[in-house]
Amino acid sequence: MKKEFSKIYAYIYRNYIFAIRNVFTFFDLLFWPVIGIISIGMLSTFLKLDTTLISFLLTGTITSGVLQITQLEVSYGILYEIWSKSIKQLFVTPTKLYHYIIGSWVIGVIRGIIVFLLLSIISHYLFGFYLPKINIVLVSLLGIFLTGLILGMFVNFFILLYGQRVDIIAWSVSILTMLICGIYYPVTTLPKWLIKIAEFIPLTYFLEYFRKGYGFEETFKYGLVKGYILCMIYAIIFSYSIELAYKYTKKTGSIIRLSE
Amino acid sequence: MNFETIIQLKNISKTYTTFLGFKKRKVLAVDKVSLEVYKKEIFTLLGPNGSGKTTLLNIIMGQILPDNGEVFIFGTKLETTIPEQIKRKMNMCSGNPNFPWCMTVKELLKFYGLLYGITGKKLKQQVEKLISIFELEKFADVRFDELSTGTKQRLALAKSLINDPEILLLDEPTLGLDPEVSIKIRQFIKKLKQEQNITIILTTHYMKEAEELSDRIAFINNGKILTVGTLQEIFNTTKSTSLEEVFLKLAHL
Repeated sequence: MKKEFSKIYAYIYRNYIFAIRNVFTFFDLLFWPVIGIISIGMLSTFLKLDTTLISFLLTGTITSGVLQITQLEVSYGILYEIWSKSIKQLFVTPTKLYHYIIGSWVIGVIRGIIVFLLLSIISHYLFGFYLPKINIVLVSLLGIFLTGLILGMFVNFFILLYGQRVDIIAWSVSILTMLICGIYYPVTTLPKWLIKIAEFIPLTYFLEYFRKGYGFEETFKYGLVKGYILCMIYAIIFSYSIELAYKYTKKTGSIIRLSE
Repeated sequence: MNFETIIQLKNISKTYTTFLGFKKRKVLAVDKVSLEVYKKEIFTLLGPNGSGKTTLLNIIMGQILPDNGEVFIFGTKLETTIPEQIKRKMNMCSGNPNFPWCMTVKELLKFYGLLYGITGKKLKQQVEKLISIFELEKFADVRFDELSTGTKQRLALAKSLINDPEILLLDEPTLGLDPEVSIKIRQFIKKLKQEQNITIILTTHYMKEAEELSDRIAFINNGKILTVGTLQEIFNTTKSTSLEEVFLKLAHL
C-alpha cells in the first residue's frame, strides 16, 4: 500500500513542479478564469440583471474555470511526458496508468479549489455574487472535479493513440462540454438532439444542482444520482480504453516514437 | 562466468506497419531472433543503425510487443504486460535521453525513485549516492533542459540505477557524445559490472565499445542475429582478427 501511495505521490510531486515552474500554468490558473469572470460580470451589470440571474451566469463561469483546470491537469499527466519526449522512461517503471491519473487529478483538484475560491471572492466583491448552502457547493464541486477527471481521461486516451498532433483536444474538450451542458443558459434552450446528448454528460446535472441553490428548477429528475452514476460508468469505460490504447501503442511501437 | 540464464528470447519477430496517406508499408525489424543472456554478464547487441537492436531491447523491456515468439525473464514468460515484481528488478538507459524539462537532477532522481516505490530516508540516500557516483553534485539543482549532453547521459545512467536493478538495458549509451565523455561513460559501465550484482544488455554500433565492454556479443543486421559468442569465439568461428572484419564477412553472407 505504501508503494502505491509513493507512486501516486510521484505524479503529485512532478505535476506540482511543473505547475510552479511554467508560465502557462499561471495563465491556466489565474489569467483566463479571472478574465472570464470579470467579462461575464461586467456584461451582467450592463444588462442590469438581478442578483439571481447574475448568479446563474457566474456559476457557469466558475464551473467552467474549475472544470477546465481540473481536466487540464489530468491531461497534463501524459502531455508533460509527451512534450518532454520522456514517456518511454515512465513506462519502464513499475507504474500503472491509474497512478498518474490519480496523482495528476489530486493536483487538478487543488488547483480547482484555488480557482473556485478566487473566482467566488472576486465575484462577491465586484458583482455581489453569493454562494448557496455549503452542502450544495460541496456536492456540485465534487461532481465538477469528477467530470474533470473523466474528460482528462478522455484526452489521455486520444493522446496515447495519436500523440502530440491531437493535443488541441486538451484545451477544447471542456469548453465544448460546457457548451452542451448549459454554461450560460438552461439546457432546455438547446436543440432537442443536443439536450439528448447533454443527458449523457454528468456535468449537466452538477451544474443544474449548483443553480438549484439559487432557486432554479432542475430539468431532469434524480439529476444528481444520474450524474454520479454516469461518472462511475465513464471512469470504468475510459480506464479500460486507456489500457487498450496503451496496449495498442506497444503493439505498433508508437510509445517509442513518442519518446524520440 | 556464471551461466545461469536470466533472459531468454525464443523466435522473436516484429514487423512495423507505417502509413503514408493510404499507402501501407511493412518493415521487418526483428526476424525470428532467439538468444539467451546469462546472469552478471555484459551482453552486447552489435549492429548498424536500423538493424533491430533497439526494437529487441524494447521487447525485453516490455515497451514493444512482439508479433511472434516468447520472452522469458527470470524464468517467467512475459505476456502483454511485465509483472510488477520483474519490472522492479529492471531498468533502462537510452542514448540521447529525455526527461521532463523543468525538473532538476535531484528532483528527477527523486521522481523516478518514488515510481519504484522507494521512499523516505532510503530514497534520499539513494539519490545522494547516485549523484556522487556519477559526479553530478555540481548539477544537482540544475534543470534538465540546462544540462549538457554528457551530463544528461550521466543523469540517465544514474536514473537507471535508482532501483538497484538486477538487469540493466543500455541503449546506445554513448551515442552522440564526444570521445572524452564516452570514455567516462564506458568506465562507469565497467565499474558497474565489477562492483554490482548486475546483468547488462548493451546495444551499440561502435565496434570498439563492444570489444571493450562485452562478455559476449551478438551481431545483428536486418533484424537477424548473425552470430553470438565471446570475442574469441567469434574470431575463431569467422576466422577474423577484428570485429570490423567479422561484420563485413557476416553481413555479406
